[in-house]
Amino acid sequence: MFNLPTTNIGGPEVFVLEFGDIVAYFSPYTAALFVFALIFTALVIVSRPERQVDIAFGGDAYYTKEVDPNLLRFQRFMAIACGLATLGAVMTGDVFNFTLFASMVGITNIGIVAAYRNRHVLNAAFQYGIVAMLATVPLFGGAAIVLAGTGTLSMWELFGGAMAVPLIAKAFLVLGVMGEGMAPFYIAKAEITRAQGAPFILMVHVSSLLLFLRVTEIVISM
Amino acid sequence: MELAYPVGLVVVAASIIIGFTALVREKDDLHRILLTDLAEVLALVLIALVATDLAEALILPGLVVGISELMAVSEVYIAKEGLRAPEGPAFRIEVMDSAPGILALILVAYGIVLSGFTGGAIAAVGAVFYFMCRGHTEQFELIETVSGYAWAFWIGAFFIFMFLPAYWFFAVMIAGGAILLKVMAKMSLVGTMRRGGPDV
Repeated sequence: MFNLPTTNIGGPEVFVLEFGDIVAYFSPYTAALFVFALIFTALVIVSRPERQVDIAFGGDAYYTKEVDPNLLRFQRFMAIACGLATLGAVMTGDVFNFTLFASMVGITNIGIVAAYRNRHVLNAAFQYGIVAMLATVPLFGGAAIVLAGTGTLSMWELFGGAMAVPLIAKAFLVLGVMGEGMAPFYIAKAEITRAQGAPFILMVHVSSLLLFLRVTEIVISM
Repeated sequence: MELAYPVGLVVVAASIIIGFTALVREKDDLHRILLTDLAEVLALVLIALVATDLAEALILPGLVVGISELMAVSEVYIAKEGLRAPEGPAFRIEVMDSAPGILALILVAYGIVLSGFTGGAIAAVGAVFYFMCRGHTEQFELIETVSGYAWAFWIGAFFIFMFLPAYWFFAVMIAGGAILLKVMAKMSLVGTMRRGGPDV
């Protein structure tokens, strides 16, 4: 067994999975987040996308827009991948793995948002992509400063309170996650919450919410 | 290390400020993609500054994530601008007719001598060059199959490392040869992309 300095990590641990010194775990808090993400991933897998309905002004007529099945399939795949990355981010016990999962969420969010052939939406997706790419600088930088300051990346050692994690590293981590999880704001800008494929867009909100909750836990516990 | 790390941090901080200022001032979208790619290099520099074995192992995933984000944003840019592959005759110069055979032969032979990941990359450069210049009529199912078997051999060699450590030399030979084939097969497909054959 790997010798863990902390036996009590963010509440009593429910489940522990060891890969060498990378120890994935569930505390009641992260288990709740995990179940939440799992439910939404399952919803994405089984859901049938809705069609956008346009109502003709001045009459009773309405029509549904055609949805390109290829784009829809791509979007569903990206939404499922986003769900899996979120699952990894909430259960990992390693700071660098968390940053990797966070940037994976960023990449898949770009994919979800970009699966429209609408110029405004693509513009918003592009701006978000730039932000997500820039966010990897503070994200990885934060993890690197944690490693340089304490000599370890394992949350089990960092959460004990014995290690003094530099404040700038915590700030960088929060800043990075803010950049990666910023997709919902760009979606609001592009007004695609009401557009085609609505259930998949939900995944963007869920993943960014869960990322924020998880990074809050990490930063407070360190 | 004691002195180098703070100095490096200061240099990186200055570079980040310069890079982000440039991003704020730049209005052209294509240039902004390039600038963000430069900024991502700074994240890798921050990791590299730690200068331990662990940091070295972290650079590769960081690089992969950076490249995949760059590819995603580039795809969005291509779709956004409605860009298409240029039509017209392919680029041809005389050296592309005479050189491929001998150059590919030398590179592939040298790659096989090196073996391992580096050898695979060098041999693949030869194969990429050959396919780019001469075109291809091969069946890519065969290359894919070879690549798949090579991967299986590579994994098998790791099982030998784990369960029969006494035979480590045998496993090193298997792993070195298999990764050579694997990297070469995968990368040589890159050389065929330009022609846009039916299999790619």
